[in-house]
Amino acid sequence: MTSRKIYRKTLLAIGLCMLCALGIIQLILNAMGANSQGVLGRVTEARAALPAIVKEPKDLVMFFGSSMTRAGFSPRQFDRDAAAVGKSVTSYNYGFGGLNPYFQDFLSRRISEEFIASDRKLKLTMIEFNPFQTTKTRWQRAQPVLDSFLTLLATDHELLEIGKNDLTRGIRLFNIKYLRGNISAEMITSFFGRGMFPPQAHQTYKDDQQTIDERRRLGQLLSAKFDEEYPNHKNAAWSSPWQGGGTIPEERSAETLAIFNDYYAVTQTDNAMKNDRLSRIRSADIEELNFEPLLVEHFINIIKNFQKISQHVEVMMLPKNSRWIHTTPAAEARLAKVVKQIELATGLKMKNHQNIDEITSDMYRDTTHLSRYRGDVAYTNYLLKAYAPLLE
Amino acid sequence: MIFNTPIFFWFFTIFILFYGFVFLKQKPKVYLILVGSLIFYGAWNYSFIPLLVGSGIADYFIAQAIYNASCQVKKKQWLSLSIILNLGLLAIFKYADFAINSVSALLTTIGYNASLETLGWVLPVGISFYTFQSLSYTIDVYRGDMKPRKGLVEFIAALSFFPQLVAGPILRASHILPQMHAIALPKWQAVKHGFLLITVGLIKKTGADLLAIPAQKAFEAKEAISTLELWTGVLAFAGQIYGDFSGYTDMAIGIALILGFSIPLNFRVPYFAKSPVDFWRRWHISLSSWLRDYLYISLGGNRHNQRTRNVFLTMLLGGLWHGAAWTFVAWGAFHGAIITATHYLANLKIFARFNQSNTLLVGFIKWAITFYLVLIGWVFFAANDLTSALSIIVNLHVLNSSIASGSNAVTIFVITSVWVLLVHVMDFYVIKGADKLESKPWLFWLLMMLGQGICLFIGEPSNEFIYFQF
Repeated sequence: MTSRKIYRKTLLAIGLCMLCALGIIQLILNAMGANSQGVLGRVTEARAALPAIVKEPKDLVMFFGSSMTRAGFSPRQFDRDAAAVGKSVTSYNYGFGGLNPYFQDFLSRRISEEFIASDRKLKLTMIEFNPFQTTKTRWQRAQPVLDSFLTLLATDHELLEIGKNDLTRGIRLFNIKYLRGNISAEMITSFFGRGMFPPQAHQTYKDDQQTIDERRRLGQLLSAKFDEEYPNHKNAAWSSPWQGGGTIPEERSAETLAIFNDYYAVTQTDNAMKNDRLSRIRSADIEELNFEPLLVEHFINIIKNFQKISQHVEVMMLPKNSRWIHTTPAAEARLAKVVKQIELATGLKMKNHQNIDEITSDMYRDTTHLSRYRGDVAYTNYLLKAYAPLLE
Repeated sequence: MIFNTPIFFWFFTIFILFYGFVFLKQKPKVYLILVGSLIFYGAWNYSFIPLLVGSGIADYFIAQAIYNASCQVKKKQWLSLSIILNLGLLAIFKYADFAINSVSALLTTIGYNASLETLGWVLPVGISFYTFQSLSYTIDVYRGDMKPRKGLVEFIAALSFFPQLVAGPILRASHILPQMHAIALPKWQAVKHGFLLITVGLIKKTGADLLAIPAQKAFEAKEAISTLELWTGVLAFAGQIYGDFSGYTDMAIGIALILGFSIPLNFRVPYFAKSPVDFWRRWHISLSSWLRDYLYISLGGNRHNQRTRNVFLTMLLGGLWHGAAWTFVAWGAFHGAIITATHYLANLKIFARFNQSNTLLVGFIKWAITFYLVLIGWVFFAANDLTSALSIIVNLHVLNSSIASGSNAVTIFVITSVWVLLVHVMDFYVIKGADKLESKPWLFWLLMMLGQGICLFIGEPSNEFIYFQF
């Protein structure tokens, strides 16, 4: 066999192996349902909703933040109560769990581009600064999904810019985007690693079996009530996920609201809250707050991105469940320093809603998130009172 | 650039296009290898290319000077220059900060408040490998084992040959230079074996990445973990470092075979060893044989009843070669001690029958003791510092019933053990029976495609290759 023939066969073998690899990747990803929708479903849906949002005739309000925003702000209630005081607005809940300011920066760029392209402006943007979304711990834990999320949120031009500084990473990112269906190898390794070597469950405090059973029973009952009271909820037009679910207590039966009360009683036991606090400490360094400078920089970018497309931008820290979360004095000092850095970089004064009187300790569903029909109602009321003058 | 990354895939595909279809003659091929290797190295950090090329150029001319020197004294002076140059590079880039920190700690211990500034320099990747490779050339010429080669480009191309540049195997000049001088046309059988080794390497690396999870749990635990999980972690690290390092060298050998080069085996199922001496005949063979030929023998070898001292010194420096930390020194010393103990016991009449016995039971006992000692050695290698290493070793032997194991601890232990065993069985098969598989083309290529497909699916560099830091 001649040298050329051998290398022709070699190249063919390389090509076939790579094709087979790509086939296997797609096959397993599809089998696992791990497509971009599955990975970052709400975020991609919210991105896809932008062209419709910019065409909305009323003044636009957006609350951009974490899962605490998602849980704590009700756009339907806000719009209804704003209309009652003569402000005609459509508001959107762009609060997403599992993100951090790095990813949010890219998402805010996409939002900003859409508004600029349509020559539209938001009347008011409220941006949540979530201290524990900005910690080193949070950043480290995001590493397995970093490149996958990045390829979903960044443009080719942004990926190219990354590639100019780091060719290896650039090629990797394009490979993930166009050949791996947005799923990086780290994500898969982490997925299989967790499957093979699951982290030890840290349920340090245990509720009694009766409470656990009751929690399950009431949860199932609430699901059944939801199906019963909203028979058309599977219709996508009925409830835009990026609008925060879209249910308000006035629409629910008295019986359902009573079940919610019972449900909160069994889900917010001391043991459940203690476990939740420990998990937040592990996953987000919630009491020590060792900030990741890169994430702070990206948070500053988020504000700047919205400043380009908003008449008013407000930055705030959401209510904190101080009964369970006790930040150390050193953490408070670090937080004050970071807040000052953000204020200096953006020229905005950050509002501190962490300890407002309107929110009481029984309005949380866990150690961080406000509860549905209690916390979200109170906080949305508070926001409307605080920011209604800006809607003129 | 790492073998299991997309950038290497594109680099290698383009390289093959030029290598197989454009540069068909000897000289252009050598130039292509040189340029390709420098691009490969430069993709990590191009500012260290002059260091690599510079040390190669220096050794090339020093070897000529050694050969042409009129007397032994002058030869020795030239060789000393080569040793100072190569080890000097290692000393500056790899060991300077370690030395400064150690002196600083020593001064603090004896009462001086010394806080010495470290250099903080980046360690050039692969420096430990290419300096040893280059040094072997000047030593071989000094000893008269080979004549200096003509052709600077050939020499630099051999030194920087990309498949083995950053993590070995450490090639002897006498092995690689003749191949670079007359690049062989590849044989299809060799190319197929190359594909097999690349696939096996990918499988090992992928497994190593997964084993990193329980290993990290043991070595980076912030809270106490159970004895079973600690043993699992140590076993997982053993599997991780083997899969990681031997996987990389398998891929290196496979890639070299595709290019028409032969690189010797670097691992021969090391965890099947039946004595510490046997382990070092199977583990990182290119380093252990380098240390034997160029350090142990230079120190005097077995002569003058100095074997114990020379073995211990060789292993100590071998440990230090792996990294600038006391944990690596301790690892080397530990292996020096167990090899010395093995030699001592082998000379005792009481063990003579045991040593010579080939029964299954005795073989198993020898293997179990060796594997246990190797695992204990890995604790020094993987621990963050000596205190943690000693604490882990103590905890491995003290059953702490107050700490409960995680819910899947037994399963994880079993999976880890089975994987370490399976990888060795796979290696054994590749060494002994690859021909049978390679003679069935459909099965062979199906397995290659599936193996590479699955590995690229879950693989990629979620963990850097451990040996890159050396």
